[in-house]
Amino acid sequence: MKLRTKLTLFNTISKLVIVTLFVLLLPVLIKNINQNYTDSRLRKQKDKVLQTVKDLGIKYYIQNGESYAGYTPIKDVYVSLDEDTLNEDLDNIQNEVRKVEGDTIAYRILSHNFSIDKKKYLLEIGISQDTVNERTAPLQSIAFLVLVTMIILTIVADQLYSDYILRPLNLIIKTKLVGNKFPNFGSYKQVRTTTSDFQHLDISIHQMIRTIESTFQKEREFISNASHELMTPISILQSKIENMFEEEDIADELKVRLLEMQKILNRLKSITKTLLLISQIENDQFLKEDKTTIGALLQDVYDEISIRLQDKNISYEAIIPENWVLVNINKFLMFNLFFNLVNNAIKYNKEGGEIRIEAVKENSAFVVKITDTGLGIIATDLPFIFNRFKKLRQSLQQESFGLGLPIVKSIADFHRIKIEVESEKDKGSTFKLIFPAELVV
Amino acid sequence: MNVLIIEDEKALARELEIFLTNYNYICEVCFDGTSASEKVAVNLYDFILIDLGLPDYEGLDLLKEAKKNNPDAAYIILTARAEIYDRIKGLDMGADDYLAKPFSLLELQSRMQAITRRKFGLKNNVVELGDFMVNLTDRVITCNGTEITSITKKEFDLVAYLILHKNRTVTRNQLSEHIWGSIINDDYDSNYIDAHIKNIRKKLNAWASPDWLETVRGLGYKIKINT
Repeated sequence: MKLRTKLTLFNTISKLVIVTLFVLLLPVLIKNINQNYTDSRLRKQKDKVLQTVKDLGIKYYIQNGESYAGYTPIKDVYVSLDEDTLNEDLDNIQNEVRKVEGDTIAYRILSHNFSIDKKKYLLEIGISQDTVNERTAPLQSIAFLVLVTMIILTIVADQLYSDYILRPLNLIIKTKLVGNKFPNFGSYKQVRTTTSDFQHLDISIHQMIRTIESTFQKEREFISNASHELMTPISILQSKIENMFEEEDIADELKVRLLEMQKILNRLKSITKTLLLISQIENDQFLKEDKTTIGALLQDVYDEISIRLQDKNISYEAIIPENWVLVNINKFLMFNLFFNLVNNAIKYNKEGGEIRIEAVKENSAFVVKITDTGLGIIATDLPFIFNRFKKLRQSLQQESFGLGLPIVKSIADFHRIKIEVESEKDKGSTFKLIFPAELVV
Repeated sequence: MNVLIIEDEKALARELEIFLTNYNYICEVCFDGTSASEKVAVNLYDFILIDLGLPDYEGLDLLKEAKKNNPDAAYIILTARAEIYDRIKGLDMGADDYLAKPFSLLELQSRMQAITRRKFGLKNNVVELGDFMVNLTDRVITCNGTEITSITKKEFDLVAYLILHKNRTVTRNQLSEHIWGSIINDDYDSNYIDAHIKNIRKKLNAWASPDWLETVRGLGYKIKINT
C-alpha cells in the first residue's frame, strides 16, 4: 500500500471513530447539560421566592394558613408554598410525577424547606420534563451538523496537505527508483523539498547511485585493461609455441605436449577475448547501424554450426517469416548472440535431439524462440545462468568456461532485447528473445 | 620479399622474424617508432607490419609517414588494442589488413599470401593434388575437369589453408582459429575440425583417393605436395 493511501485511510478511520463515539455520547451529554441548566434555573427561582419572602414577608404568599400555588396555563412551570410538618431539612432537586388539575405531568422539582417565625414552610418549584426535552433535539442536531462539517473539512485539509508534503517523495520514487532501469546512470537532478527527511533520502540515493556507477565503471575499466594487457603476452607465447612446433628436430611426443600447451593457451585466449568483448559491449563501443533479415542471420549461424549438428545427429528446424527485417542492430554481435544460443542448444542436447527456432508475433511483440530437447536447467539454477563463470553442475562438459550466456545477455541488453527462459529438467529449454518494436520492421 | 617488422615487444618481434624467415621472407626488425621512421625513409619494403601500440610513436602517424616513402608496400597492422574504430581507421588510412593480437603466425602468413595474390594479380593460382585440381582464385576443386560442387565454403577454406601451409603439420587449433576465429563463444576445445575433414575425404573419395590429405596422428593435418 502506498504511504499516501495509508495516511488517508488512517485519517478517515480515526475521524470516523471519533464521530461515532461523539454521536453516541451526544444524547447523554446534551441531557446532562440541559439538566444542569434547568437545575440552575430552579435555584434562581428559589432565590427569587426566598428574596420576596424576606422583603415582603411570608404573608405575601400565605394568608390565613392557606397554601400558595401558581402555575402557567399550560402547566409547564409551577410554584407551590405550603406549611410543612416534616422536621428534617429538605433542599434537593429530583424528577417526580405530579397530578395537576387532572393532568399527570413529569416534573423536575426543586424542594426546599425553611422556617419563619417558628413555622416551617415547604417551597416547591417545578419545570415540566417536556419543556426540558424540547430543547434537547435542536441542540443535538446543531452539534451533529457542526461536528460533521468540521470532520469533512479536516479530512480534506489533511488530504491536501499530505499530498503536498509527499510530493517530493513521489517524485523521488517515480524518477529515481522505478520506471527507468535501476540504477539509472543518467544525469541526476536534485528533488526540491523543504522536508529534511526527503532531502536526506534524495542525497543518499544520489550517493548510492554514484558509488554503484563508479564501481561499475571501475569494473568495466579493469576488465577492459586487464584483457587488453593480457593480449600481448598471450600473443608472444602463441608465436613461440607455433615456431617451436615447426622445428624439424623436435620429437613427436614433445610436439604433442606443445599442442597441449597450445590448447591451454587457446583457453586463456578465448576467455580473455570474451571478457574483452563483453567489456566493449558494456562500454558502448559498437555501432547499431546494420540491417539484415532474421532468416539471413540464422542461415549464417547455420552455415557455421551445421557441422556440430551433424556431429551429434541433431535435427534443426527454423520457422521464420520472410519479411522480418532487423534494423539498428550490430550484425556481428547479433550473429554471436544467435550462434551462442544455438551452440548451447547443441552442446546441452542429447544425441539425436532436436532444435527448433521459431519467430512469432506475440501480442504485438516480436519473439524468437529457440527450443532444444536437451538436459534442461533445474529451476533453482535458472536465476544464475547468465552469471559470468557460473558453471552449473549439470553441464558436465569440460570444454566451456561459463561465458556463453553472459555474452548472450550482454548483447541482448545492448540491443534492449529481453530474454526469458523456460526449462524443464531432462526435457529441454526454450530461450525466448523478445525484440523491442524499434528493431523490427 | 622484404619485410619490415615494427614491434616493441622484442620477444614477439623475434618470433615473427624466425617464422617469416622460415617462409623465405627477408626480415628487418625495429623495436621503436623512431628507428622505424628512419628505416622506411631509406629502404623499400614489400611488407610492413606495424604494431599500433608503440611507446614513442603514434602507430597511425607512422603508417602515414611510411606510406609516403613506401607507397607500394603492403601494410598489416598488428595491435593488442582491438578497438573497433582503430581497425576502421587503420584500413581507411590505407592499411591492407589488420590482425588483432593474439594471432596465429599461420594466419599472418595466409593474410600476407592473400595480399600478394591481390597485389601481384596471380591469375593462374591452380594447385594439382593427385587427380584433383584446386583453383584458389575461383575457389573450386575439380576432378578430371568436373567441378565438385558438394564441397562447402568452410570445407574449401580448410583445404586452401592446408595448401597454403603445404608440407607442414597444421594443428586443429590453427585450423579452427582460421575458420572460426572471429566467432566469440564459450568453447575452447572443439574437435569439429575432424568432422569437417571426414566430410571432405568422403566427398572427394567419391571421385578419387585424396591420399594427399594426411592425418598427422595426435597433432593435426597436412597436405603433401611434392615440389
